[in-house]
Amino acid sequence: MSTQALGTVEEQDRRSQALARRKLIIGRVLTYATLTVAVLLVAFPIYWMIITSLKLPREIYRVPSLWPKVFTLDNYEKLLADGGFLLALRNSFIVATVVTIVSVVISSFAAYSMVRFRYRFRGFIGRIILFAYLTPASLLFIPISIVMAQLRLGNSLVGLILVYLTFSLPLSTWLLQGYFRGIPRELEEQGLIDGHSRLGALVRIVLPLSAPGLAAVAIFTFTGAWNELLFALVLITSESQRTAPLALNYLITSDVLPWGPLMAGAVISSVPLMILYFIAQRFMVAGMTAGSVKG
Amino acid sequence: MADLNAHAGERQNRAAAMRLNLFAYALVIPVTLLIIGLVGYPFFFAIWVSFTDQVIGNVGKFIGFTNFAYLAGTSTFWAAIQNTVVIVVVTDILKLGIGLGLALLVHQHFPARGIFRSILLLPWAMPAFVAFLTWRVMYQPIGGRINLILTQTGLYPHVVDWLGQRHTAMGSVIVASVWRGFPFWFIPILVQLYSVPEEFYDAARADGANPWQRFRGVTLPGIKQVIIVPTLLSSIWTANAFEHVWLLTQGGPSDATMVFPVLAYFGMQTQRIGEAAAVSVYMLPALGILVIFATALMMRDDEQ
Repeated sequence: MSTQALGTVEEQDRRSQALARRKLIIGRVLTYATLTVAVLLVAFPIYWMIITSLKLPREIYRVPSLWPKVFTLDNYEKLLADGGFLLALRNSFIVATVVTIVSVVISSFAAYSMVRFRYRFRGFIGRIILFAYLTPASLLFIPISIVMAQLRLGNSLVGLILVYLTFSLPLSTWLLQGYFRGIPRELEEQGLIDGHSRLGALVRIVLPLSAPGLAAVAIFTFTGAWNELLFALVLITSESQRTAPLALNYLITSDVLPWGPLMAGAVISSVPLMILYFIAQRFMVAGMTAGSVKG
Repeated sequence: MADLNAHAGERQNRAAAMRLNLFAYALVIPVTLLIIGLVGYPFFFAIWVSFTDQVIGNVGKFIGFTNFAYLAGTSTFWAAIQNTVVIVVVTDILKLGIGLGLALLVHQHFPARGIFRSILLLPWAMPAFVAFLTWRVMYQPIGGRINLILTQTGLYPHVVDWLGQRHTAMGSVIVASVWRGFPFWFIPILVQLYSVPEEFYDAARADGANPWQRFRGVTLPGIKQVIIVPTLLSSIWTANAFEHVWLLTQGGPSDATMVFPVLAYFGMQTQRIGEAAAVSVYMLPALGILVIFATALMMRDDEQ
């Protein structure tokens, strides 16, 4: 009797184990299956962009194959031939780099001031910065283009740099405040005792300790400036001042859609960001979590 | 004597405090001035311009609500309202749902999940304009990849001009936007999931909670903070996004995908600045509510 009962318990045990095991396996299979589908859907457009940029026109327009019969760099040559796109890349690079440097420097000053000191208007300034962060470009592009025209900065990279600060400064200041708050005051006070000035303490102690935050902010600023289309479209009128997104935009507004060169341009424009992403994925992930970043 | 010393010390202290105060202001002033000049001033200027008949090259005069009344009489304007609402609601729900679902899947313990995570972040790492240009090419009726997949697999035998037809254009814009935007949710949620202690799940399991109850009782409260504020922010940004519609359809065909930012841009192109500004200003009330909510929540989270 008792052995029988024991047997049932064991059996039950085994059965529930087998059930749990089966559940786990089914769960695994479903997880992998769903994720594989998701990864394919995510990766396919990227694959298609790259592969289209490497095809001959006849392979692009008729029945495009998944794998080209002939690989060619024709599209890249066509895109780069007249130098216009190279110039646009250079412009994009200048604008994004300058915006990033200016923005990281002055917004880290502001963030530090707001985290460390108590003074009148501090709360007010904090509110202004947050409002500015949330004020969308679509509201600002009209008045800003008028202002820039009045300042005679309308059709220039300098104007574009100034305008891109409108979205990078609030974001950077907001994110950096979060990072600076995490740095213990004591470390800084130790620095002051060791003979650093306040500014010295900021530069030698606080900034190095916030390196991951600075990296995240720099990446977001660079990316934001590199990607921006609306302001560039409104402000820039001459071909020599175009940025990369603008140059590609004008490729599609012409009558024929030159897919090959267009995708070649898309690949080239993605490369700097992809490099940034591979170097700094960790910072990017941390920053996205901290600040819900605009994109 | 001692009194005098104390006096001098106090004065010194006050001078030091003042210097510190000046230093604090000096640090914060560049950002403040730039923001007031480049965001604050244009913001109010836009509102003023929307009440004038300004065109390029002519400052114009105050004309009251004429621009607003004129816009409200055009069908394009109503199309823009409807489309903006549809895009914001549908896109954001889909992005959040897909991001959350994938984050829950990747959060499980299984080999190679790092690879999945890296690939799923890719659309966000790409420039938005690149993403939408690529989708534009994929949507092409002849030689576009999507039609080819459907006809080759026999799922749908006819060639569809995805971006060129009224009833498919909006869906196509939304699919491309969701593709590009879901990592905005996926990554923060995934990171946040790691911060929910495993013991909470064990405790819930010991209490006999089923998976759905565990999700409601443990997971959701744990990730709430990366959902509420980002939902507000994402709605604001989606409502104001320009690239997706501009690069895919330019608002067409016949306004089927027209949204506010594109309408404002068209107004600008036709040089009627007052009218264009009125388009943006029309968005302010709805936007203002979202912004005030978001600001309040962000300030509160920030103080904690």
